[in-house]
Amino acid sequence: MSPSTQIALQNAVNGLLIGGTYATVGLGMSLVWGVLNVINIAHGAFVMLGAYTTYWLFTLYGLDPFATLPLAGAALFVLGYGLQRIVINQVIRASFLITFLLTFGFDLLITNTALAVWTADVRAVTTAYSGRSLHLGPVIVPAIRLMTLAAALLVAAVLHLVMSRTRLGSAIRATASDQEAARLMGIPIAHIYALTFAIALATAGIAGGLAGMSFPIYPAMGANYTFIGFVVCVLGGLGSVAGALLGGLIFGLLTTYAAGWLGPNYDYIVAFSALILVLLAKPTGLLGRTVRFRG
Amino acid sequence: MALLAAAGVTKLFGRLAALNRVDVAIEPGEIVGLIGPNGAGKSTLVNLITGMETPTAGRITFDGADITGRRPAAIARLGIARTFQIAQPFRNMTVRQNVAVPSLFRAARASGVAEALDRADGVLDLVGLGAKRALPARALTTPDLRRLELAKAIALGPRLMLLDEVMAGLTPAETDAEMALLRRINTQGITLLVIEHVLRVVMGLCRRIVVLHHGTKIAEGSPQAVTSDPAVVAAYLGVRHAGRDDAGPR
Amino acid sequence: MIRPPAVGTAVSGAEATAGPLPSRAADARGIALAAAALIAALVLPAVLNTYYVRIITGIFLFGILASAWNLIGGYTGYPDFGGAAFLGIGAYTTGILMLRGHAPFAAALPAGCILAAIAAAGMGALLLRLRGHYFAIATLGFMLVLRQLTANLDITGGGSGINLPAASDFTVFYYWMLGALVVAVLAGFALPRTRAGYAIAAIRENQDAAQVLGIEPLPYKILAYAANAFLFAAAGGIYAYWLTFIEPLTIFNIDFTVQAVVMALFGGPGTVFGPVVGAVILKTLDVVLTNISLFLHNVFFGGLVCLLVIFAPRGLAEIFQSPAGLRASIRDALRENRV
Repeated sequence: MSPSTQIALQNAVNGLLIGGTYATVGLGMSLVWGVLNVINIAHGAFVMLGAYTTYWLFTLYGLDPFATLPLAGAALFVLGYGLQRIVINQVIRASFLITFLLTFGFDLLITNTALAVWTADVRAVTTAYSGRSLHLGPVIVPAIRLMTLAAALLVAAVLHLVMSRTRLGSAIRATASDQEAARLMGIPIAHIYALTFAIALATAGIAGGLAGMSFPIYPAMGANYTFIGFVVCVLGGLGSVAGALLGGLIFGLLTTYAAGWLGPNYDYIVAFSALILVLLAKPTGLLGRTVRFRG
Repeated sequence: MALLAAAGVTKLFGRLAALNRVDVAIEPGEIVGLIGPNGAGKSTLVNLITGMETPTAGRITFDGADITGRRPAAIARLGIARTFQIAQPFRNMTVRQNVAVPSLFRAARASGVAEALDRADGVLDLVGLGAKRALPARALTTPDLRRLELAKAIALGPRLMLLDEVMAGLTPAETDAEMALLRRINTQGITLLVIEHVLRVVMGLCRRIVVLHHGTKIAEGSPQAVTSDPAVVAAYLGVRHAGRDDAGPR
Repeated sequence: MIRPPAVGTAVSGAEATAGPLPSRAADARGIALAAAALIAALVLPAVLNTYYVRIITGIFLFGILASAWNLIGGYTGYPDFGGAAFLGIGAYTTGILMLRGHAPFAAALPAGCILAAIAAAGMGALLLRLRGHYFAIATLGFMLVLRQLTANLDITGGGSGINLPAASDFTVFYYWMLGALVVAVLAGFALPRTRAGYAIAAIRENQDAAQVLGIEPLPYKILAYAANAFLFAAAGGIYAYWLTFIEPLTIFNIDFTVQAVVMALFGGPGTVFGPVVGAVILKTLDVVLTNISLFLHNVFFGGLVCLLVIFAPRGLAEIFQSPAGLRASIRDALRENRV
């Protein structure tokens, strides 16, 4: 195998591996955006909280990072339910600008409180197996990254099952498609919204835990992940697990190849170009439904 | 020469043919009725003529010039106005400002703001909304909103007006008044295409009627000819005779 | 003060009145008040000490940003979240021309403004076709791209940023900011009264209806967006001169834009002085909070934004001027917006 093919293959593998994390980041945002019509600019801040949860459980109690994921998810689930039920539901029918500003307020609160409590010191989660890799033919697959991808796929699969096979999933989809009709059918909207946000935040927390195993952890890390979430949502289309997965994987591949070609400091430019291209060509994303009139 | 000619117009949404090779010609000065059961494609045809959608196939010409696929604003400035079935006012602008907008934009350098506002007053008096000119549009009742739609269409100074169910829900007296208004507009030289369900309006106003059903033209002719056409009667299951005064077929 | 509009429905979060305000008397009152404020502003530096002059200059800065945002976000209904991109273009252009081109400030600043307007026209031609949510995100992306670009290029000094020559004394910045603020407010005043302003209002209210009435939307949207960019760049250029140092992370920062949005919304979007009033109130609050605790003032601001958004979504002016009273208008807002 020629070196360039090997590099291309390695890039593809790296891209898919990182794409799993991106997809998990995007899942929650897509759910909230698609169902609640809220763009959660604080999504990255919740990812950050998940990362720190994993970090502290690992550092203080010696728990394996992967074992902390359900705990991070659970903690953020509770937080998400509370936030939606008590706060966000108060403005849920307002325009997107209002809800956007509200989530911006959350972002300020969460990020700066984290900064005050945990300081700006950069943390990392390093386990005994952090450095291990598998050699699958010509490509090197870091163990952590592979397990991260597996976890991401698992989360996506679980979420898909919940959305398509459970009554809760039906209720959520019904509410998303027609709130008035759902209300008339006796679906408790406030509760459903709260559960939706809770699920979204749980995935954000797990995404944070996963990210924390491979990337630096610091209070301001959220902003990057919020942007990643946006791009994944736009690329893949809103409100579908498959969309987030596809968006995440494509974005992972895109950034990896771009980093190889342009260098690591141009990832925003690549992301933005991809974003613009998709928005202009198919605004609802690769797996979203088409819109009507010309603008 | 026809003022407006739609030739072989087809519009597909996915695999659904909202319109299938429809030919319609409207002569200058006519009042033509466009009827058909719900879902027949009437509003789609209007959307295609006004440029809000592009036909999948076929051509639309206005005064000899091809307007197929041109932008809505350009078509409006050529002299085609429309009303929407559900009124689309500029809610947070006053009634007067609403009507001033088409006055301002009906040509590239049409008029100044003050002049447009004055012209709007004239049109508002014509449709009977003069007293409400300073109200924000969101404060209007539904019949008034329809009048506002009409006023905006008139203020565009068009040669052709496409009216989408302007009579729905009016009392017989209101309907008569609207019909008189439309006749007056027509005598001033504006050609009308009237989409209506209210049979009395269609019979009374239109010299010629085009009938659509499931996206195809199934009949065309004088009101009497069309309403006694068995194909048309069959399309409208609920109608037993022509010329009834009720709300029309469903 | 020119009053904001009465209760209306949310179109894009900016319940705005188009066109000229109905009352000549209100116009005259507003103009008189503005003139008085301007005269006061002109003499303030002679009376106050530098600490307060700095604070007021900061208020002017945000007054410009809020008024500028209002043109695209309030009047046109396109919520721009990447305004800091133009702030940065103004800052860097001014800086580079002064530092490497040895240009005087008075020449460098307009160059930055024009460059920003051109960039906005170009970007706008692409982005203004997008609907609200997507537009917001795309503009944010644009800002991030510029941030990364300036961090990578040599001409902008890379990650270390660039230094600008110092000015003679602080009042230079005060008066430039004031001048730019006057321009911004005038733009906000003039636009709704022009033919273009009617187009913009119609587009905001109902773009489909606007189109069938002869309005081709994109050029007008670009006009508003470019005007917004021009003003952001003006503020950026002056700010760069004031700080004498700019670097990517601080200038290409969404905080500027969000503060501008919050101020415009809470002062009253779609009104002429609303954004400025919002800037005055919120910036003053911010300064007070910073004095209480430098460390936690962002936390307080975040909390404040949340509270304002929940209890006063139509702006503080609406809340305080409502005939039904403060509590009733808060209750109404909640009833309208809650689940």
